[in-house]
Amino acid sequence: MEELMLFDNQGNLISKAGKAVVKGDLGTRLCALMMLAGAVLLIGGASWFGTQSLTWVYFAAGLIGLGTGLCYACRKQYTKGLIFAAAITFAISLAYTASIDYILKLDTLGTVERKMEIDWTTGQQVENDYDHSFKILLYGIIGVAAMILTSLFCFNALGTSYRLILQRRCGKPVNNIMQDLRSLLDEKFHLTLLSLPGLGVLIFTVMPMVVLIFVAFTNYDSKHLPPSKLFTWVGMENLFDLLGSAQNSDFAYAFQKILSWTIIWAFVATFTCYFGGILLAMLLNSKSTIFPKFWRTCFVICMAVPQFVSLMLIARFFGDMGIANTMLSNLGVTGLLQNLGIISKDYIPFLSDPTVAKVMILIINFWVGVPYQMLIATGVLMNIPQDILESAKIDGASGWVRFWKITMPYYWSVTGPSVITSIVGNINNFNVIYLLTSTYTTLDMSLAKVNAKEMDLLITWLFSLTQGDAANYAMASVIGLVSFVICAAFTLVSLFRMQRGGREKAFG
Amino acid sequence: MKKILAMVLALTMVLSLAACGGSTTETQSTTEAAPVQTTAAPAEIPEVTLTMWGSEEDQVLLRTMADAFIADNAGEAKITIELGAVSEADAKDQVLNDIEQGPDVFAFAHDQIASLVNAGALMAIPEEMGKSDIIARNVDSSVEAATVSGELYAFPMTADNGYFMYYDKSVFTEEDLASWDTMLAAAEKAGRKITMDLGNAWYTYGFFASEGLGLTVTMNEDGSNSCNWACDNGVAVCEAIMNIAKHPAFLNTSDTNFAGLVQDGTICAGINGAWNSAAVSEAWGENYGACKLPTITINGEQVQMGAFSGYKMVGVNAYSDQLVWSMKLANYITNEENQALRFQERKLGPSNIVVGESEEVKADPALTALAAQMPYCTAQNVGGNFWSPVQTLGGILAEGNPDGIDLLELLTDCVEGVEAPIA
Repeated sequence: MEELMLFDNQGNLISKAGKAVVKGDLGTRLCALMMLAGAVLLIGGASWFGTQSLTWVYFAAGLIGLGTGLCYACRKQYTKGLIFAAAITFAISLAYTASIDYILKLDTLGTVERKMEIDWTTGQQVENDYDHSFKILLYGIIGVAAMILTSLFCFNALGTSYRLILQRRCGKPVNNIMQDLRSLLDEKFHLTLLSLPGLGVLIFTVMPMVVLIFVAFTNYDSKHLPPSKLFTWVGMENLFDLLGSAQNSDFAYAFQKILSWTIIWAFVATFTCYFGGILLAMLLNSKSTIFPKFWRTCFVICMAVPQFVSLMLIARFFGDMGIANTMLSNLGVTGLLQNLGIISKDYIPFLSDPTVAKVMILIINFWVGVPYQMLIATGVLMNIPQDILESAKIDGASGWVRFWKITMPYYWSVTGPSVITSIVGNINNFNVIYLLTSTYTTLDMSLAKVNAKEMDLLITWLFSLTQGDAANYAMASVIGLVSFVICAAFTLVSLFRMQRGGREKAFG
Repeated sequence: MKKILAMVLALTMVLSLAACGGSTTETQSTTEAAPVQTTAAPAEIPEVTLTMWGSEEDQVLLRTMADAFIADNAGEAKITIELGAVSEADAKDQVLNDIEQGPDVFAFAHDQIASLVNAGALMAIPEEMGKSDIIARNVDSSVEAATVSGELYAFPMTADNGYFMYYDKSVFTEEDLASWDTMLAAAEKAGRKITMDLGNAWYTYGFFASEGLGLTVTMNEDGSNSCNWACDNGVAVCEAIMNIAKHPAFLNTSDTNFAGLVQDGTICAGINGAWNSAAVSEAWGENYGACKLPTITINGEQVQMGAFSGYKMVGVNAYSDQLVWSMKLANYITNEENQALRFQERKLGPSNIVVGESEEVKADPALTALAAQMPYCTAQNVGGNFWSPVQTLGGILAEGNPDGIDLLELLTDCVEGVEAPIA
C-alpha cells in the first residue's frame, strides 16, 4: 500500500517507467525491451535499410505497439491492451511513413531544387522530385512531435504496468475496460474535459509557435522562397543581427526604437484606459449624475461599433486632408498655430508626424478603449461593500482617501490579472496602430530600409516584413520570437508577484 | 492465462500488419505519382482543366473569352476553365501563398513580375508558344516590361497602368501645360491646387527619370538594384522636387485622396493613372483634359519628366500541370481581337499595337495622354528594395528636407538602401 502511494506521488512519466523496468516483473521488462528494440530500429532503420521499402518501419511500429499492449495484457486488461497496441502501431506507422522523408532532411532543409522539362510540341512535362524547404520543416517537426507524443504513451504504459502489479500486491482490484471507461466520466473526468481543449492548444497554438521558432534560425526570405528555391539553417545570425549594435545593423536600430515605443505604448495605453474606465464608471455610479442609464447606453453603443470600423473612420477624420483639419482650418486654428510657428504646413499633422501621431494614437486608443473598461468597472464597483465606504466616511476619510484606500485596492485585487493580460494584449495591439498609420511614410531612411516606421509596434513591423517585396519571414519570426519571450516573461513575473503578494486575501 | 496471452499476441500482430498493409500501398502509390506529372497522350481527346484568375470586374468578360477559347479548341481537347476573382494588384501575394496549388493562368500588374520570376512562379514563354509573335504584336515597352534577364515571362494585356497629368481645361491653356512652373502659376491664379503623391516611390521616380539626366535604376540578376542617383544631377532633381513641393499651389497627398479632391474642386490638375479617368471625367465633364507630364527645371533648363510605364500582364504558373494549354489560353485572351474586346467592354487601354492605333482608342483622353508620355517612359524593372527608401526620400523632399540633411548625403543613403544586397 505504502509502495503504491509512494509510486503514485513520484515524479514524471519517464521516472515512473524507469522504476517499472528496474522493479517490475519479467513481463514489464520484456515490454520495455520490445519498445527499446522498436525505437532503436526506428532511429537507425533509415540508415540501415534505406527508405525505399518501409517494411522495417511497420515491424518497428508493431514491436512498440505490442510492447505497449502487453503492458496491459499481462495484467489481464486485454481489451485495453488490444486497443493500445493497435493505436500505437497505427500512429507510429502513419506518422513515421508520412514524415520520415522530411525528418531525414531536417538537417539541411532540402538539397534538390525543382527542375522541369517540357516538350512543347507534345505537351509532355516531367518534373523532378524536388525538395520544399518549408514542407520539410513543417512536416518534419510534426513528425518528430508525433514521435515524442507516442513515446510518452509508451512510458505511461510501462508505468501503469508496474502500478498494476503493486495494486494487485496490496489486494486492490484491477479495473476492467468498462470500469476504465466509466472512470473517465467520474474520477478521471478532468481528462475527458481537458482532452479536446488540450488538443486544440497543441495543434493551433503550440505547433505554429514551434515552427515559427525554428523559422527564426533559417534564411527564409524573398531570396529563398520555396518551392522554387531552398532555404537552410543560419544559426543565430538573425538573432544577432536584431539584438546587435544599432550602428552596424538597420534591423538593430529599428528594433531598439520600436521596442521602446512598444513598451511605452503598452503601459500608457493600458493604464489610461484602466483609470479612465474607473473614473467614468464612478461618475456614472455617482448619485448626483442625472440620467446615468442614458449615458451608460451611449458608451456601450460606442463599444458596440466594431473597433476597426471606428478606427478606419478616425484615420480618415484626422488625415492631412481630413475633416478635422478642414474644420480647424476654417476656424482659424491652423492659421494661428502657423503664425505661432508651431506647425510649418497648412494642416496639422495629426497622423503624419511621428511624435504628434504617437500622442494621437494614445488618445484615440483611450477613446476607443474606455467604454469597455467602464463596463467592467461598473460591475466591480457595485460589489464594493457599501458599509466599509460609509464607515470610512463617518470616520472622516475624504473622497480621495476612500478612493485610494478602499476602492482601488478592492478593484485592483479583482482586475489585476486582467490588467496584465491587457498589457500583453496591447503589446500585440495590431488594429489600432496599423489602421491609424498604414498611410504614413517614414522619413527615417534607416527605418525605411527595414520596412519599419516610427509608430510601429513589434507586431505591425513583423507584419510589414511579411508583406509584399520584403517577404523576410526569417526576420519576422525572430521578432515574433522576441516579442513572445517579452510577453511570456512579463506575464510570468507579474502573475507570480501578484500571487505571492496575496492581494486577494487582503480584501476578504 | 498463457493461451489468452498468445491469442492476444497473435491478434495484435495481425491487426498491426493489417493496419500497415493499407498504408503501404497508399504511401507508395502517392510517392510515385506525385513527382511525375504528365499530361495525357494526344491520341484521344484529352480532358483539360484550367484555372484562370482575373480581377472581379473582368469576370464576365473573361468568361466570354474562356468560352470562345473552349469552342475554338473543341477538336483538340475537352477543356474546362474555372475562373477565380483575384485583382491584378493582389495576384502576386495570392499566387505566392501556395504556388503549387495556384492558378494555371493569372493576370497581374507588371510591377510584380520581378518578385514572381524570383519566386519561380512564372513559366518563360518559349518560341514554340509564339514568343516572336507576342513580341511583334505588342508595343516594345510592354514587351520590355514582360522580359526579365532576356526571357519573356508574360503576355502583355493592357498598357494603361502608367501615370500622366489630369487637368481642368478651364484653368490651363495649352502653353501652361508645358512645365511645372507655368502650371503651378496658373493654378495659384485660379486659387486651386495641383497634386501628386510624393510619398509613393512609383510617382517620385518620374522626376529622376527626366530626360537626358542619365539617372537610372535597374534590377540586377539577383533581384538587387543598381542605382546611380547619388550625383550632381540627382541633387538637382531633389532641389527641383523641393521647389515644386514648397509652391503654395502644390499639394502632396496620398493617391487615395485623388478622386475626392477632384470632386470637391480643391485641385485643378494632378498626376494619376487611368483608373481614375471615369471619376475625373464625371467631375469635370467638358473641362476634363489629360496630357503628358510637364517639364521640370534642372539647372535653369526645362527637362521633360519621365515615368514608369505600367502594364497588366497575363502569366502562366510554372507549376501548372497543363503548361501547353495554359500558354495557349494566356496567348488567346491577350491577342488582338480580345484586347479590342477588352477596350470595348472595360475601357482598358490595349498593349496591342494595332488596337492601340484604332480610332476608338485614340478618342480617349487618358489613353492619348499615356501614349504621349510613352516615349519618356521606362519599363518598371526594379527590385523590391527600391520602394521603401525612395518612398522615404520623396517624403523628406516633400517636407522640404526639415532636418536640413545634405542632399547628396541623403541620396547616398537612399541609394545604399535601394542597392542593398538581398540576403
